[in-house]
Amino acid sequence: MINILISGILRGGMYVLIALGLALVYGVMGIPNFAHGEYYLIGAYAAYFALTLFGVSPVIAIIFAALIGFVFGAVIEKITFAPLRKRNTGDWVTNAFMIGAGIQLIIQNLAQYLFTANYFGVTQLWEGSIKLGSINISYDRLVAFAIAMCTLAAFWLFLKKTRTGISILAVADDEVGAMLMGVDIKRIHTLTYAMGSMLAALAGGALISITPAYPTMGTAPNLAAWFTVILVGVGNLSAVAVGGFMVGLIEVFATYFFGAAWQNVVSLIVIIMILLFKPNGLFGRKQKV
Amino acid sequence: MLKLDNVCAGYGKLDVLWDVSCEIKEGEFVAIVGPNGAGKTTTMRAISGMIRPKSGQIIFNDEHLENKSMKYIHDAGISFITDGGNLFPTMTVKENLLMGALNIRDKGKKSELLDKVMALFPRLGERVNQDAGLMSGGERKMLGIARGLMSEPKLMLVDEPSLGLAPAVVLDVFRTLKGLSKEGVIVLLVEQNVNVTLKIVDRAYILEQGMIRGQGTSEELLSSEYVQKMYLGIE
Amino acid sequence: MKDNKIYETLSKPLSKIGLSPISLAAFAAMALFPLVSPNEYYTKLGLTCMLWGTLAMGFDFSVGYINVANWGYAGLMGLGAYLSALLNKYFGISPWIGILIGGVVVAVLGLLIALLTMKMDAMFAALLAWFVGIVLQNIIAAVPNITRGAMGLNVRSLFATPKTAPYYYTMFVICILTFCVLKLVVNSKFGLSFRALGQDIEAAKAIGISPLKYRTINFVISCFVAGIVGGFYGHYVGVLSPNVLGTKNVVQILVIAYIGGRGSIWGSLLCAFILMPIFEMMNSLAEIKYIIYGALLIVSMIYFPGGLCKIPEKIKSFKAEKNK
Repeated sequence: MINILISGILRGGMYVLIALGLALVYGVMGIPNFAHGEYYLIGAYAAYFALTLFGVSPVIAIIFAALIGFVFGAVIEKITFAPLRKRNTGDWVTNAFMIGAGIQLIIQNLAQYLFTANYFGVTQLWEGSIKLGSINISYDRLVAFAIAMCTLAAFWLFLKKTRTGISILAVADDEVGAMLMGVDIKRIHTLTYAMGSMLAALAGGALISITPAYPTMGTAPNLAAWFTVILVGVGNLSAVAVGGFMVGLIEVFATYFFGAAWQNVVSLIVIIMILLFKPNGLFGRKQKV
Repeated sequence: MLKLDNVCAGYGKLDVLWDVSCEIKEGEFVAIVGPNGAGKTTTMRAISGMIRPKSGQIIFNDEHLENKSMKYIHDAGISFITDGGNLFPTMTVKENLLMGALNIRDKGKKSELLDKVMALFPRLGERVNQDAGLMSGGERKMLGIARGLMSEPKLMLVDEPSLGLAPAVVLDVFRTLKGLSKEGVIVLLVEQNVNVTLKIVDRAYILEQGMIRGQGTSEELLSSEYVQKMYLGIE
Repeated sequence: MKDNKIYETLSKPLSKIGLSPISLAAFAAMALFPLVSPNEYYTKLGLTCMLWGTLAMGFDFSVGYINVANWGYAGLMGLGAYLSALLNKYFGISPWIGILIGGVVVAVLGLLIALLTMKMDAMFAALLAWFVGIVLQNIIAAVPNITRGAMGLNVRSLFATPKTAPYYYTMFVICILTFCVLKLVVNSKFGLSFRALGQDIEAAKAIGISPLKYRTINFVISCFVAGIVGGFYGHYVGVLSPNVLGTKNVVQILVIAYIGGRGSIWGSLLCAFILMPIFEMMNSLAEIKYIIYGALLIVSMIYFPGGLCKIPEKIKSFKAEKNK
């Protein structure tokens, strides 16, 4: 039982990281970003190549992955969502979703075209493991978890204590209000999207020794991130932390009791149960889209 | 000085404002009055940059603003208090107010402004750490105005300050705005409540169906037959 | 052309069954196609266009009117497919009946989804429908002893002959029936209520339109279509795998529905006939095909958000501007 708990917590920690990026983009920009998993992919490939082609240390590789995620996010936002916003004629949500689907198609297939469908992985980033209870946890998993937690803490501080961070939260609360306060809305949108991508890429890079890079690797993290976001609802970023762990735990328990094939089914049933009583998610408020 | 020169504006294919022109100098306390749907809010939106005028010019202190971004216009010293307030519901009163002073870097200055604004609106002072989303309509209006003051604006645009407020509070708010205009801030209001408004402001423009139908000092308008018949119910 | 006498006299009676002179002509052309088609490849292509076009029509019936995007649509279609296939395999039920049962069961599931998403805003409803589709996919993959999961399920064909023509005409009947029924509903009081809900849910509630009632009716109809087409799909293609329920297919349906124009039944069908052949032609490019597809999607969403069917409108208003 303890083993499952630990496994769930480790997994949950990564989910929080991935889901935070998604929640940020969805909450601040109103974009249901279906391409979110693809930034996880970008991070994984970036880390892989940094390690194998350039031979850098794991820490540098992971930082590199995050930076690449940031850059890709910023560029993509500038050439897709920014023009969409400018020309917005209504039905922003679905148009944004379609663009996300388009981005997903492009990145996934570009990865397959450039790198083939093979798995690109490394055996380990750091040697060794520790024993907790009766199971061994590799250092890789522990470090990934630690990175996730530190990033979350740093991010929380950024959002609450810096001028830019507070501006981002303001935009999520009331975009027009933020604009009236003199917030540079274009900059905030690009920055938010880039940070969301960065967080996903960071997770992908940190887990490169556990999950190798391959073209369709974005699907599972995307789903987990969305499960988390729907579970907690929109409007409260801190809730994502809780949600991520919840989904992680639900998944490992489901796998334990019913087998891996039923993992998503159980998650969904739990989510449906919760949504029956709280249609806007556990901590969410109604979106004034 | 704020000057509108033949401004035409609207939403998509819908034209709302037709050749609206007006001129307001420093320290003036002016209102745009008119019936519902006349285009008063649209005028404010055009000045603040929320919408771009289709033609015409908006000049503030010798600068053309008609094609600038909302941020630019805000930084030029213009503060727009919308009807709904556009407050930040998950932030406290204090946090909302501090957002108003976003571009002011000096911490001392920020504190000073905060104190000044709380002195003007003691009710807000009592609720300083309350979430803005939980406040009553009247309190929200006050917070909106208070927040708008935090950026030390040179021009304040206020959309229907009296709407939803108790009469005593309305007088309070109007007195505060008048005090501001005495300090040199241009205060431009938009109001449906012609009676009370004309008793407080210096001058007013009458906007009907998107066009300026008349203007004058408060005395002139209050004694005009047209205004008395159309807006004050005096036959 | 609209001033033509023949056009006028035909329009009225035709509209009673959901057609117009133009759509009648188009369907007549579609019906005659197999007779003039050069070979089986083209007939199959025509069938594929009708199949995805019908799915797009069903999908647009929801998103274009009550403004709820049913992103689980491919999953629902796949459910219909598997149900019919399995009913035939284990209980010997005739595919024709199986397809109908598939349609009904999926319609019931649609009803449940509508009930579940009743209080949610449109975005959450769409996401939840997407989850349902994924879960259906997972369930099917999780019981390989029943469904053969990822290994693939062999489905009994609808007809004994290897020729495409009978399948083509079956799909044709499904297609034209769907078109007419959806058109009739959309032009009726129901259609108005749907549109009211889609545009402003609060205003609609205020005048007594119950979101629950109309969302449910809309979903039941739209999901019934998905189930029927799905059932047919299985017995036509002859083999099924959980991939049929995947998000890729949802995107395909979405693309056709959107580029064809939201709230335009004929637009979705027409768009299928334009996009699917283009897509087929690009098949040799493998991954590049999807990259181009994705790029097209992005460009069209940014620059042509209204979709194809808005082009006649744009031309009209452009002409009007010129004449001013």
